[in-house]
Amino acid sequence: MSTNTPDAGQVQKLTRAQLKELEQKQLTPVQRFFELIIMILPLVCGIIAILEYILIPDNSRNANPGVYLAFLIILVIVYNIWGWYTAYKRVKGDKVPYEKLRYRAPLFSALFLLLAGYDYLTLKTGILTQPFVPCLNFVANAFWKDRAMILECTIHTLYLLFLGYFSGCALGLVTGITCGYSKRCRYWVDPIIKFLGPIPTSTWIPIMMVVASSLFGGAVFIIALGSWFATTVASMTGIANVDKDFFEAARTLGATNRQLVFQVAIPHAMPNIFSGLTQAMSSSCTAIMIAEMLGVKSGLGWYMNWSKSWASYDKMFAALFVICIIFTIVTKSLEAVKRYVLRWQNGAEK
Amino acid sequence: MEKNKVTLKLENVSKSFAKVETDEVTHALTSVTTTMESGEFISLVGPSGCGKSTMLRLVAGLIFPTTGKLTVNGKEIEGPAPDRGMMFQKATLFPWLTVRDNIAFSLKMQGKLKGNEDKVENMIKVIGLEGFRTDYPGQLSGGMAQRVALVRSLINEPPILLLDEPLGALDAFTRMNMQDEILKIWQEKQQLAIMVTHDVDEAIYMGTRVLVMDAHPGRVIADIPIELPFPRDRGSREFVEYRVDILNKLHFAGKGALE
Repeated sequence: MSTNTPDAGQVQKLTRAQLKELEQKQLTPVQRFFELIIMILPLVCGIIAILEYILIPDNSRNANPGVYLAFLIILVIVYNIWGWYTAYKRVKGDKVPYEKLRYRAPLFSALFLLLAGYDYLTLKTGILTQPFVPCLNFVANAFWKDRAMILECTIHTLYLLFLGYFSGCALGLVTGITCGYSKRCRYWVDPIIKFLGPIPTSTWIPIMMVVASSLFGGAVFIIALGSWFATTVASMTGIANVDKDFFEAARTLGATNRQLVFQVAIPHAMPNIFSGLTQAMSSSCTAIMIAEMLGVKSGLGWYMNWSKSWASYDKMFAALFVICIIFTIVTKSLEAVKRYVLRWQNGAEK
Repeated sequence: MEKNKVTLKLENVSKSFAKVETDEVTHALTSVTTTMESGEFISLVGPSGCGKSTMLRLVAGLIFPTTGKLTVNGKEIEGPAPDRGMMFQKATLFPWLTVRDNIAFSLKMQGKLKGNEDKVENMIKVIGLEGFRTDYPGQLSGGMAQRVALVRSLINEPPILLLDEPLGALDAFTRMNMQDEILKIWQEKQQLAIMVTHDVDEAIYMGTRVLVMDAHPGRVIADIPIELPFPRDRGSREFVEYRVDILNKLHFAGKGALE
């Protein structure tokens, strides 16, 4: 490649992974051994967690010991399969899955140790008092026994979340884009935003409980309001800050006014719009939990509060984990959409 | 080509801008009268503030004259149109579109993309960026980006091509390469090309006519036809004479800025 000038297309064909490999230093045997240890460590820690649970005698009564144990075993098996899969891929020449797992392996090890440690502090010794800080087996049991109800609550929460979020964001995009583009529109909407902006969405909940005919409708309204606000502000700034040069270039290329909005201004404002959508999602997640805990008679927030009043702390914790998982999935999905739409932003900025 | 023959007329064109902070008015361009035809390559050269960019933007239809009239084949210019392609100093490629989609932008805006995909491919070939078809502008170098910008404005085969210091931000070698590339396209299509530059050498190397302009107020002080055959030799005696002549004209105007 150094003898003649490389053809542009040829350089392109080298993938990122191949390039990385070309430039990487060879590992010494000691380092290789160390790498292998790190990959195996999660398995070792997983087995430690299982043995800790089986071998150490329980401090308090432990009903139906199966669920937590099954959970641990499944985790260990999943890691095992994942590990063999990456090894297989690596032999085939694709190092990416291996590197991903290698990056996470120390975290997985720590996770297993954390589970074992928590189990030791709760079930085995009672240093953390039962049943206020329930041991993991209780939580897992509660989840498994009450799964139908938890599923129903999850669906309800997601329904409420999406209804409020999407209606709020859709409206926010419309107002944000029109206001970003038209000064007259901004003149009227700006004061509303300035007035409503500093009020945290949860402040509306008591008002809603008094005013709204149905609490469900009120909750949708609150979530929508928060989302509307975040997307309006973000898309408005995005559209208002479009580089004038882009408009001029587009006009000399024959774009009509309508096309200037849809083909230039909106794509240009997409990074802003997405930061608004992300912010709207986080405010919606907060608002929905508060709404469900204070008034709405269904959903995971309500379920947590309800379990608390029955002193079923295990159910409360089970719901907490479910909330954590669904909110993570929702945020990650939004993130994935964002990465896809804004793929033009990755790539070496010159 | 006959149907693409154009005559651009500027009749007593002036443009003034109100200053932002004071009540004063800047006279960016005062009473310019000239005629330009297809097949000409006009270089507008002069120090900053002489109104050369203003003149180009007037022709593009991005701004309108304070007094006077600009006409293309007798029809007054009413706004930007794809038959007057423009290339800016910044490439202004749309960062969210791939190289291919940037080049196809104009066709798409006019709803003419269907059936013209080969035109786009052809343009990609002209600038030799076949390997970058699906890349985004953020991944291109300055020279590549300007090449894309050039063919993006050429895709409509505009009879008038406006170049607003298109090579100003490039390094010297890329710049000389692109001068030849632009000349090649112009010689083939015989459009009317109008280029703004503050590089006197570039003005002479590329132009069939050089309009020398001066500032305060912005105006045309000389209209010099360059009677040298293409390709031109930057070191030839005639070339140097033209340069001395133009620099002198600007120097006599009391602005030593270019020396």
